[in-house]
Amino acid sequence: MSIILKNGTVFDGFSLGTEHEDILIKDGVVVRRGADLEGEGARVIDCAEKLVCPGFIDIHAHFRDPGFEWREDIMSGARAAAAGGYATVVTMPNTDPAVDSQVTVEYVLSRGESAGGARVLPSACVSRGRKGTTLAELGLMAQSGAVFFTDDGAPVSDARLLKIALRYSRDLDVRIMEHPEEPSLTAGAQVNEGAVSASCGLKGWPASAEVIDIERGIALCRETDSPIHFTHVSTEHGIDTIRRAKSEGLPVTCDVTPHHLSLDENYVLVGRFSSAYKVNPPLRTRRDVKMLWKGVEDGTVDAIATDHSPYHMDEKDVPFQESPFGIASIECSVAVVLDTWRKLGMPAGLDRLLSLFTSGPGALLPRSWRSLGALKEGARADVTVIDLEEIRRVDVNEWRSKARICPWSGEMLQGWPVLTLVDGHIRMNRLEDGE
Amino acid sequence: MEWRHRSLIGLEGWTREELLFFLEQANYMEEIINRPIKKAPALRGKMVVNCFFENSTRTRVSFEMAGKMLSADVVNWSSSGSSTSKGETLRDTAWTLEAMGADAVVVRHGQVGVPDYLSKKLQRAAIINAGDGTNGHPTQALLDLHSAWKKLGELNGAKMTIIGDVLHSRVARSDIQAFRKMGAKVTLCGPSTLMPEDTDSLGVEYVSDVHEAARGADILYFLRVQAERQEAGLVPSADEYHRRWGATDSLIALASRNVVVMHPGPMNRGVEIASSVADGPNSVILGQVRSGVAVRMALLYLCLGGAR
Amino acid sequence: MKEQPGQIWVRKATVMSERDMKRVLRRIAVEIVERNKGLDSVVLLGIQRRGVHLAARLKEVFRIEEGVEIPTGELDITLYRDDISTLADQPVVHSTTLPCDITGRRVVLVDDVLFTGRTVRAALDAITDLGRPERVQLAVLVDRGHRELPIAADYVGKIIPTSRQESVEVRVKELDDEDMVVICERKGGTVSGVEA
Repeated sequence: MSIILKNGTVFDGFSLGTEHEDILIKDGVVVRRGADLEGEGARVIDCAEKLVCPGFIDIHAHFRDPGFEWREDIMSGARAAAAGGYATVVTMPNTDPAVDSQVTVEYVLSRGESAGGARVLPSACVSRGRKGTTLAELGLMAQSGAVFFTDDGAPVSDARLLKIALRYSRDLDVRIMEHPEEPSLTAGAQVNEGAVSASCGLKGWPASAEVIDIERGIALCRETDSPIHFTHVSTEHGIDTIRRAKSEGLPVTCDVTPHHLSLDENYVLVGRFSSAYKVNPPLRTRRDVKMLWKGVEDGTVDAIATDHSPYHMDEKDVPFQESPFGIASIECSVAVVLDTWRKLGMPAGLDRLLSLFTSGPGALLPRSWRSLGALKEGARADVTVIDLEEIRRVDVNEWRSKARICPWSGEMLQGWPVLTLVDGHIRMNRLEDGE
Repeated sequence: MEWRHRSLIGLEGWTREELLFFLEQANYMEEIINRPIKKAPALRGKMVVNCFFENSTRTRVSFEMAGKMLSADVVNWSSSGSSTSKGETLRDTAWTLEAMGADAVVVRHGQVGVPDYLSKKLQRAAIINAGDGTNGHPTQALLDLHSAWKKLGELNGAKMTIIGDVLHSRVARSDIQAFRKMGAKVTLCGPSTLMPEDTDSLGVEYVSDVHEAARGADILYFLRVQAERQEAGLVPSADEYHRRWGATDSLIALASRNVVVMHPGPMNRGVEIASSVADGPNSVILGQVRSGVAVRMALLYLCLGGAR
Repeated sequence: MKEQPGQIWVRKATVMSERDMKRVLRRIAVEIVERNKGLDSVVLLGIQRRGVHLAARLKEVFRIEEGVEIPTGELDITLYRDDISTLADQPVVHSTTLPCDITGRRVVLVDDVLFTGRTVRAALDAITDLGRPERVQLAVLVDRGHRELPIAADYVGKIIPTSRQESVEVRVKELDDEDMVVICERKGGTVSGVEA
């Protein structure tokens, strides 16, 4: 089965092409990139005025499966990801049972394969049961296909265990993804510590809670010389600390979420305490948002990851304080980022922005998957086509995800993914009617 | 004046003109309290439900009296603890109340944002916030404004000092908002462990020395000290609190001659306020209670009346 | 009649001048003395808002002509209106101040215009909540007809037949900078709001 994506502007993961080019795909592989390509019996998809990119990669999403399937499961999640323009998604292991063994890693992989959506790559726990006391079987899980180790939902609880995990994972070529939070400073906290917490008296979550854990991880990275990745960094000082570590030459990387790039703490007040704005880490100040974009622009940020956190309506449609933390956004997150980027006056180059969905996260995966995120001859045919001009309303009722509460519900956003291919298979097609 | 506000969740959207108009209406309502027959038929047939998820006798009784003086039917729905501990979700409670025909729901809850939440769920009923967690207690602010305004006349330019546990106080937050809207300058004083981190964003000044904070003040507002704060180690003993921040005759003497001394009640006599001050000539504490009924009458009248 | 927002009223004719008003109020005062065989236990209650000012003038007439200080008060009937739940906006409440206990007294209600009678009905309900007068009488400057309830005035300044399209306005110096009674006509139909 061959496909020709015709006349688009190609982004190869690093830079934007300047002319109209075609991509010829055959048997799940990118065969040729060039102008005026032809292929016998090939299906031609017109991509004029669109950006043809490597398949987008989301390295942080919660699919709640096994254990919490009423919120999401691997099938609905994988399809939602594809609908959101993602060709690959990395799932988090805070399920029930937690993904802390070969059996659970393999379960996630096989469910993902049959889902018919984005490619699902599981991450696995650092500690057994995410309890933070003993190391999980990192080697065996890496063998089975885990692509990150993380206790996300929480930081690795003690420094000693984190240091051991960093040393141990170094040879496995699987990165540790740390959720940067110092729990003693965040107990009972609901919103960012600052103007909003002063105004309504909700307990505040200080920026220091994030910075302290980042500094801890960097110190251990320095000593073990092992790569460490910080996920959903949300503060100016968090980004600054990582920037300094990078300039020192340390293997430190990080990602930021679409909501921390577009929303700030004032939305909690303006939204009149809608639980749609309750998230961990909390929405921060306008200045933090600005500094996150600076990190995007200057290369401090390596990837944009959604931290898609779905809940059932009954769980999330409750008063603010009672609500669980989490924003579910995988189906509109690319649009949120593109729309915000445009509204803020394009604070980073388009190629840099697109790299944070592609080559950036791709480089963080183990060797066997590292080629994802680049569009070139011989590569897997994972493709995401973007229409930068399209304006569309976010309609949660159309979502394939089970989640129905989202901060952008009903909003008109500009810049949407319109085609998703995984290994040459079409998983989402809004370019042509009917798929 | 066309009254724009159907519900009262917070005072953000109220203009200064609306506050002044409201205070005048509350004055006229107060006259009914003086009558031998304390009733006027204005809200006849309207159903007001007091939905109190936190224990409170004073506020609930104040609302009940206000409703009854205007001939409304007042019904009490008390439920202590969070809705989840009772099994029924808040959303279901809200829909139940509306299905039963409530015209107004007066709600007090331990969680911030509950009145906002209810107002998004209820179509018909007016929502009146009787206190949501640490966030706001707007009817308290209105009655505080009324008492102070009756005594002082003009609040524009008045110096107000709020003393006590501001961090946990919804009364303080609503008062700061309301008095600032009327043009008063508000200063905070109290143990620094009991102050919000970012006082600048609230438009107030924090002064650590209580004598400096009280000097020349036109309004001195003393907040309750709750026993839990002592237990949590945030505040020293009751005795130390009284000596450092309590309302004593010598402290009051530092303020302006016609200073208005206020307290939201119920008082811990001898802790945040000495009896001689509470019962003294500058105290409007009982006036606050009276204003409470008048203000709540005006509120119910304005929010519930009219064709909808 | 209370002005409704959104309607346009055009002045058509002046039916009482300042001098007419003075003369009429003096006559009403005389009638009050005659009917009550003196002024013992008479209390004047002006209905907000213009009735209050007319009552004050009657009080002044009694002071000058009879040398008597008649207790005079203000009665706000807003909370007793029978149309409260049908109005678009909540009407503004004004003050009610009684000069003394009205139980056992002869209360003379004073209002500017008697029209449907509903205002007076509300005033009677309010009075019932305030005490039990021996007798209640009604004095109005203008009776314009179109009664909807069985209410009649004891003292009438002038009877002015009108149509429903018209309105009678009593203007007083204290509120309107002039003393006169005018008839206005409605132009252009109703815009919004409730018909009087």
